Amino acid sequence: MSPATTARTAVAEPMTDVVRGNAGGTEPAVEIRGLVKRYGSKNALDQLDLVVEQGSVFGFLGPNGAGKTTTLRILTGLARPTSGSARVFGHDVERATNEVRQLVGYLPDVPGFYGWMHAEEFLRFAGSLFGVARRELDERIPLLLDLAGLTDVRTPIAGYSRGMKQRLGVAQALVNAPRLLMLDEPTSALDPIGRKEVLGMIAGLRGRTTVFFSTHILSDVERVCDTVAILDAGRVVAQAPIPELKARYSTHRLRLEVDGSRVELETALRAAPWLTSLGVAEDGSLELSVGDLPRAQRDVPALVARFGLGLRRFEGGEVSLEDVFVQLVTGGGR
Amino acid sequence: MRGFTAFLRKEFAETVRTWRIWVLPGIMLFFGVLGPVTARLTPALLESVAKSQPGVVFKIPPPTWVDSYAQWVKNLSQLGAFAVLIIAAGVIANERRSGTAVLVLTKPLSRAGFVVAKFLSLLALLAFSVFVGAAATWALTLVVFGEAPVAQLAAVSGVWLASGAFIVGVMTLVSALLPSQVAAAGVGLGVFAITGIASLWEPLRRYSPFGLGNALAPLLQGKATHLEWPLVTTALALVVLVGLAAAVFRRVEL
Repeated sequence: MSPATTARTAVAEPMTDVVRGNAGGTEPAVEIRGLVKRYGSKNALDQLDLVVEQGSVFGFLGPNGAGKTTTLRILTGLARPTSGSARVFGHDVERATNEVRQLVGYLPDVPGFYGWMHAEEFLRFAGSLFGVARRELDERIPLLLDLAGLTDVRTPIAGYSRGMKQRLGVAQALVNAPRLLMLDEPTSALDPIGRKEVLGMIAGLRGRTTVFFSTHILSDVERVCDTVAILDAGRVVAQAPIPELKARYSTHRLRLEVDGSRVELETALRAAPWLTSLGVAEDGSLELSVGDLPRAQRDVPALVARFGLGLRRFEGGEVSLEDVFVQLVTGGGR
Repeated sequence: MRGFTAFLRKEFAETVRTWRIWVLPGIMLFFGVLGPVTARLTPALLESVAKSQPGVVFKIPPPTWVDSYAQWVKNLSQLGAFAVLIIAAGVIANERRSGTAVLVLTKPLSRAGFVVAKFLSLLALLAFSVFVGAAATWALTLVVFGEAPVAQLAAVSGVWLASGAFIVGVMTLVSALLPSQVAAAGVGLGVFAITGIASLWEPLRRYSPFGLGNALAPLLQGKATHLEWPLVTTALALVVLVGLAAAVFRRVEL
């Protein structure tokens, strides 16, 4: 079987056997206070505060250059903070580097492998760096290879596609059954199938370990995360469970299309206490941002009827994470 | 310590299974073959030059095993040292560039362990390469000249190995400082050019690792040499250089 056409197996099942790392302790998995990282005159991180609770699948969301990778590099000891503190399960990442590394699995955004090794060899090597016993590795490695869809691949890693390397990267990050799995942009270079698989792997870890993953892909976060922090220009501009975040930052959107002159209707809508803004969409329909959705849903049809207009379209829904994200990083929500 | 042992094992496996095992041992093997052949053919070449120029007379004694060993030492001291410097320039820089350092150093392997393992594996490869070259020199010298004393060859090869180890130590430090092999090689060449001039100073030649290279010719000719101090200072320098490399690399952000 060629590497490219390797069977990609269901990924959630083996997770129970691989990750047993979430037991014990009530301290946050990650606790960052006032973290600053300066490169010359530029602040990559600017008084960053962040708490990741144990057991959560935490999305670290932000545009390119927001400071996501810098945060992960500090948490893994690859970079040092200019000031502030970062703790992983209560351990200071600057002082207790070995204790922290023992608890963490990490996948960088572009993982570098030894091209001459095979996948199994690399996993065994990674496990031996953690001091995982040989017998334990004998049990764990087939599960991880299955998880990564690399069981039948016989070629050295040098011949792997980017997606295969990324899946192997996730597998090697799990080799020590980590209490905290940190993934830096794990899906950014993958095709839709690869993305789906990696997200499936992450979702399968829910409740078994804490997952902290950075991304700029909003749909990935909506798909698998329970909590999210939005980072912009080195600061966390919002952090909450996703439904709470949407509720907090939502101005609900409605779209209205009527037959007949809508001048009087627009005047009446502008006077409504629940209206935040009124605009006209490209297709000519009215776009309403409302603070009190149930009331707007009752009042709008009544107003349309009062002015004798025909109701052609009236649709709406809750704000998406994308709306919240755009609102926050463009400054509207701050 | 577990991480260190695992990483050192990986280093040796990498040496055996990649191009590394062919390059330095190949170069040394080439020198090992070249030395005796050059020693054997040089008088004949000079004679033919003399014949083409009337009035010029060369009086060259017949070559012996000493000439063969001298060629081996000359090749080691010039091109051999250069090859070791270039290869050692990438000892840490290459793992930084390829991103593999990030993957292993986010696991329980200390930066010092990483540096020491890289140094030791390259030192082992250098020792193996010198052995291969010296063995070839010995065998060919015996075939061509009918005589090839082992002790003299072992002595000069061993002393040169010590100076090669010093090059590896210096380049480990430079490679820990700089992120690219080319930059490290450039700086390394500069360092050795300057120290080469400085070694003209007698006390430096007598007491420092720079005395090793100067002792090779007298050692081969059976003259008295004072290698105690250069060997001791080389050993001390290696400890200091690798320690410094570990300290520097600990501060490097990856």
